[in-house]
Amino acid sequence: MIQGIFQSTTLPALEQMAMFSERRHEVLAGNVANLDTPEYRARDLSVNDFENALAAAIEKQRNPETHAFRSPGYLTSAELPPALRSTAQANTDPFDGPRLAMEKLVYHDGSDVNWETQITELSKNQSMHNMAIALMRSQFSTLNAAISERV
Amino acid sequence: MIRAIDISTSALVAQRTRLDTLSGNIANMSSLVNENGEAEPYRARQVVFRTDDTMQTSSGAAGVRVEEIHVDESDPLYRYQPDHPLSIKEGKWQGYVAYPNIDLTTQMVDALEATRAYEANVGVMEMTKSIGRDTLSIIA
Repeated sequence: MIQGIFQSTTLPALEQMAMFSERRHEVLAGNVANLDTPEYRARDLSVNDFENALAAAIEKQRNPETHAFRSPGYLTSAELPPALRSTAQANTDPFDGPRLAMEKLVYHDGSDVNWETQITELSKNQSMHNMAIALMRSQFSTLNAAISERV
Repeated sequence: MIRAIDISTSALVAQRTRLDTLSGNIANMSSLVNENGEAEPYRARQVVFRTDDTMQTSSGAAGVRVEEIHVDESDPLYRYQPDHPLSIKEGKWQGYVAYPNIDLTTQMVDALEATRAYEANVGVMEMTKSIGRDTLSIIA
């Protein structure tokens, strides 16, 4: 019964999110540690891949019979009119140009670790972790309120 | 989570070694005699960093370690000081004194960079700690 209570909330998804951001924090910490290592290449875990996998898992839990993932309220790219299709897929990020230019940049020591990018990613990742934890805490306090019948 | 602290620590150790080497270089800027008492100018030391895959985590993060301490083999700086007790007595550089080939500007900029890198890793450690603290706060 208690398992059912936890499964019906978003707690499992939030748990995965917190775990992912902790793993990613390790990777980014490794990048900062290797800031002055010659020939080192920056490493990262793809947030997009994680979010897609998580969305697919949530969708699978909600509708076990239709395994294909489809976010509610959004059209898949095949359903979009052709005029919208290309803009919806490519170039959603206006900073793509400068970002890609920086990705190919290698410093004199052959390393491509960009200080500013790493620190930004670290704090974005920390915000993601904070959000997951804050939501988890509020889920637990809601459950607590229901159990104790007190607000 | 603990691994992230280990990784940052490896960088702290490496940058600290680099700073030690740099301060040694600056301290010995005018050393004309080596540790055995022979007339040989000090040679600049430089640390070489390397990705440490022995402390790699499952997520692919790796630490850093000092690969070697490279000794600069370039020619010393010669200054014409014929009255100096260590001046060269014969050959091409007769009357010259060999001084360590250390560029103070390079050493100072390098030291500045090492300090900043050290601070960056301390910052990441603080973030790691705050993430851990946040996770523990679920219990409360």
